[in-house]
Amino acid sequence: MATISLIDLMKSYGDIPAVKGVNLDVADGELIVLVGPSGCGKSTLLRMVAGLETVTSGSIEIGGRNVVKAEPAERDIAMVFQNYALYPHMTVRGNLEYGLKNRGTPREEINRRVREAADILEIGALLDRKPRQLSGGQRQRVAMGRAIVREPAAFLFDEPLSNLDAKLRVQMRVEIRKLQRRLKTTSLYVTHDQLEAMTLADRLVVMNSGLVEQIGTPTEVYDRPATLFVAGFIGSPPMNLIPVSSLSGNEVSAGLPSGTDIVGIRPDAFVLEQPAEPSLALEASVELLEPIGGESHLHVRLNSSGQSIVLSVPGRPEIAEVSDIVVHARLADLHPFSAQTGRRADNP
Amino acid sequence: MVENRPFLTFLTHLVLIAGVVIVVFPVYLAFIASTHGPGQFVSGLVPLLPGPHLVENYSTIWNEGLSSSGAPPIWVMMMNSLLMAVAIAVGKIAISLLSAYAIVYFKFPFRLLAFWIIFITLMLPVEVRIIPTFAVVANLGMLNSYQGLILPLIASATATFLFRQFFLTIPDELMEAARVDGAGPMKFFRDILLPLSRTNIAALFVILFIFGWVQYMWPLLVTSDSRYYTIVMGIKRLAASADSEPLWHLVMAAVILAMLPPVLVVIFMQRLFVKGLVETEK
Repeated sequence: MATISLIDLMKSYGDIPAVKGVNLDVADGELIVLVGPSGCGKSTLLRMVAGLETVTSGSIEIGGRNVVKAEPAERDIAMVFQNYALYPHMTVRGNLEYGLKNRGTPREEINRRVREAADILEIGALLDRKPRQLSGGQRQRVAMGRAIVREPAAFLFDEPLSNLDAKLRVQMRVEIRKLQRRLKTTSLYVTHDQLEAMTLADRLVVMNSGLVEQIGTPTEVYDRPATLFVAGFIGSPPMNLIPVSSLSGNEVSAGLPSGTDIVGIRPDAFVLEQPAEPSLALEASVELLEPIGGESHLHVRLNSSGQSIVLSVPGRPEIAEVSDIVVHARLADLHPFSAQTGRRADNP
Repeated sequence: MVENRPFLTFLTHLVLIAGVVIVVFPVYLAFIASTHGPGQFVSGLVPLLPGPHLVENYSTIWNEGLSSSGAPPIWVMMMNSLLMAVAIAVGKIAISLLSAYAIVYFKFPFRLLAFWIIFITLMLPVEVRIIPTFAVVANLGMLNSYQGLILPLIASATATFLFRQFFLTIPDELMEAARVDGAGPMKFFRDILLPLSRTNIAALFVILFIFGWVQYMWPLLVTSDSRYYTIVMGIKRLAASADSEPLWHLVMAAVILAMLPPVLVVIFMQRLFVKGLVETEK
């Protein structure tokens, strides 16, 4: 168990920067999720922490020790790979033991740890099988087991669930969360799936093109996205970003912080009836109604600018497609952004 | 194309059986010849059924050889061939594995150049470089020695290339996982790469063993002492007798014996080879 600190961490491949100076402090036992679109540098960042990529500049501290020059095995970390990377010619037991044997762990200790990990992950019956005889979910467990037996200072997860089908992914997500809570091991978890990120994380690190856009708890990031990128990336369907100029007929500019030229409105912040609180009203025409069970997604086009936005409304409203409606949003639910800086306009 | 047409089945079997007969008949003839007495085979009428001299012929050629041709007993030549073929196969595999490992997994200056230089030697078969190679071997004093027979044939671009291609298909994550698990370069090679290459090694061993076994020109050049004769060049010597009819019955016995080890290697290794194919999955 340990803290992890990244200080001005940079990585470039030749002239191309992949990670452009990241600072991050991970508390002991915390689960940090690095999330962002592909190519944003999140995997590179994780691989630098693991020691699988060299560091161009900056430093990495695990448990207060600078490990930039250390080999992966000397960093006291364990990694779970996207394709599991189980040794195909070894049995499950062999896979679990390999790292411990290399470190010269005594036999009884190895047996104890393998038994414990197998109990935790319920793979005791699979110990003598080869990886190819396992299903995707079982391989995933073995990969986790290989990390657990090491009893490392930190777990590093590199998109561990992206090879599983949707149902199994949800189930394993819950299990990873429970496991991490139980073991209280500091963890870094990389994913491009924002739902996975939201549900797993103690704190989220949203990355875009090599830079950290925002660090915060999932609720913080969702409720107060710091940049336009985060606003558009976190949340499904994504936040609607509407230029202030197309809010014609609404007396909103007075209530917005100076410098605001884009307002973000979450799909579920819209209502179809005018609320009691101060609100804005937008005239729009309905293009498509998508019922998705408990709620419906309403695709409408704003009359003022022709911009398409998405609303999420509870139940299945009786609205004819190609009809004109007025949608309302409380002023308190608006997220003011400055297009120029790309950042929140009301940040302290 | 899984169809049930009796005529097609008949036709395919007919073609296959005809093929087998064409291949097997000369071998059968050689075996028949090795069971008859000296004059039988050159009398004009070739017998098609085994004769009574099987044990006699084989024990003569095995233990005594043909002194008239200046060849040692067959068992000496068989042992030489076996040693040469095994050493060449093992040596080639060892060197190719290591060089492919270096080329794929290590970053060093001129890595690509090194690969291409190895690759280009594929275009130069033994025969092309045989005179300079002979000069080198002769100057090193390795004529009439096992080193002289074996060493020049060990370097193998083909095997290096095959192992390189195989290593490239192994996911990088496996190497990374091993690094995280504390395996250094040699440990990774021994614990992960080598077991995964088992099938390839078995397949290559079969090919390379036969390659070594059937070497004719090189042993002919570097050996003049009959103690180092190999079986394939020895057979030629048995058949070449100056002023009498070749003793075909004994030559054919030698041929049959010379054929056995490659056949055994194929049969034995094929099981391992297929087993490996079925078991390994990346």
